[in-house]
This record gives sequence, structure tokens and C-alpha cells, in this order.
Amino acid sequence: MAKEEKVDKAQFKRFFPAKKKVCRFCQMDVREIDYKNVDILRRYVPEKGKLSPRRTTGTCSFHQRRLAQAVKRARIMALLPFVAE
Amino acid sequence: MRHYETGVIIAPNLSDEEIDQQIKQMAEVIASMKGQLHREERWGKRKLAYPIKKFADGYYVFLHYESEANVPAELERRFRQSDQILRFLTVKKPPTQRRPLKKGEKEAEEEAPQLGVSEVEATGEKEKSRDEEKKKVKEGEAESKEREKDKGREVF
Repeated sequence: MAKEEKVDKAQFKRFFPAKKKVCRFCQMDVREIDYKNVDILRRYVPEKGKLSPRRTTGTCSFHQRRLAQAVKRARIMALLPFVAE
Repeated sequence: MRHYETGVIIAPNLSDEEIDQQIKQMAEVIASMKGQLHREERWGKRKLAYPIKKFADGYYVFLHYESEANVPAELERRFRQSDQILRFLTVKKPPTQRRPLKKGEKEAEEEAPQLGVSEVEATGEKEKSRDEEKKKVKEGEAESKEREKDKGREVF
């Protein structure tokens, strides 16, 4: 049973390979992320107000660090919520 | 000398003149301590993401200047004493915005635009252009990479 499942997964992967995610900031050649760019930060902060992990957004580690810094600054300046319902 | 950017949220119940007065005072502090004010960015009244001192809105101002470290210290000391300032945040600006060349990449011909100093825009316009950018990004996935790059420089 378990074996069968594994095969299915492999087949699934072969027919529908996962789309490779790329870091949007790298694509746009951005070095510093400004905390005042709320529209851009919003894309990485879903409803709860938490920063989305790299595995879901595909952001590279360099930009994820800058992004986290920017989001924290934006929260201090009340541009983004610390917690949202 | 270093580049700093100080963002301030001023209480929304002040009149326009009082707000102007506040900003003028900040500019004077910078000037009196031999700092150079490069530009001020006024966003105007804006809704806060959460209430501060029971205010739901705040008047946003950002000052970009170049000075010694005692200027932001003095500004912040004043902000703490004033109850008309709801929040403030000073950020050091990195000296250069250029990224080191990747392997096999050629030196770009034009200087990367000095971010921050070059974009002087009214808030309303900026907001609008940002929205447009967003739309464009959504629509034009097929856009050439080169254009994407240029846009990125503008946005950030």
C-alpha cells in the first residue's frame, strides 16, 4: 500500500513538475527593500499579518532577510499591523 | 557624514500650520547642526495600521538628510519630549545602492540611479503610479526581463 502511494507520487511529479519559484527581488535587481513600499510588503504578509516563509514565496535568503527587516520597520511606523484578525 | 532618513508620524488633530511648524523645527535642527536636508517627503494624513495614543490616523513625514550622528540623536530627543509626535523611526541609508558584479557580468555603462534623492514626487502621484506598477506586474508576466529590471529600480 505504502509502496503504491510512493509510485503515484513519483508519477504525479513526472506529469506535473512543480513550477520553479524565483525570487522576485532578484528578478527586478533590487538591493535594498524600503519599508515605505507598503504595497510590495503587503504581498508577503497575508491576512494574519505574519511574514510568509521562503518556501511559499520563493524569495532568496538574501532578500528574505531584507524583507523581514522592512516588514518590522513598517510595523513600527504603523504601515503594517503587528497582528491582524 | 552619513545619510539618514527619519520618518515621523505627527498627531492628526493639529492644524496645517502647526504641522508646518513642526516640520520647520526639524529642518532647523538639521541646519543648525551642519546637516544637509536633501528632501522631505510628505504623505499627508493616512490611516494607521493600529491605533496609537487612541488616534486612528497620522500625518506622515519623511526627512532625508546627510549629517553627523548627533543630529538624529537630537531630533529623537525632541520627538520623545513632544506629545505631538506619535512615532518616529530613523534609518541609516547605505552609502551605495550598487550591487557587486556577478561572475561574467559586464560593468554597466550608466551609473545606477541614486535612489532616494532622485525620486521627488507628490504622494498622490506616487500612490497612483505604484498601483499601476502592480497592475502591470500582474498582467505582463511575459514582459522582457530588461524592462522588469528598469521598473524594479523605479519602484524601490
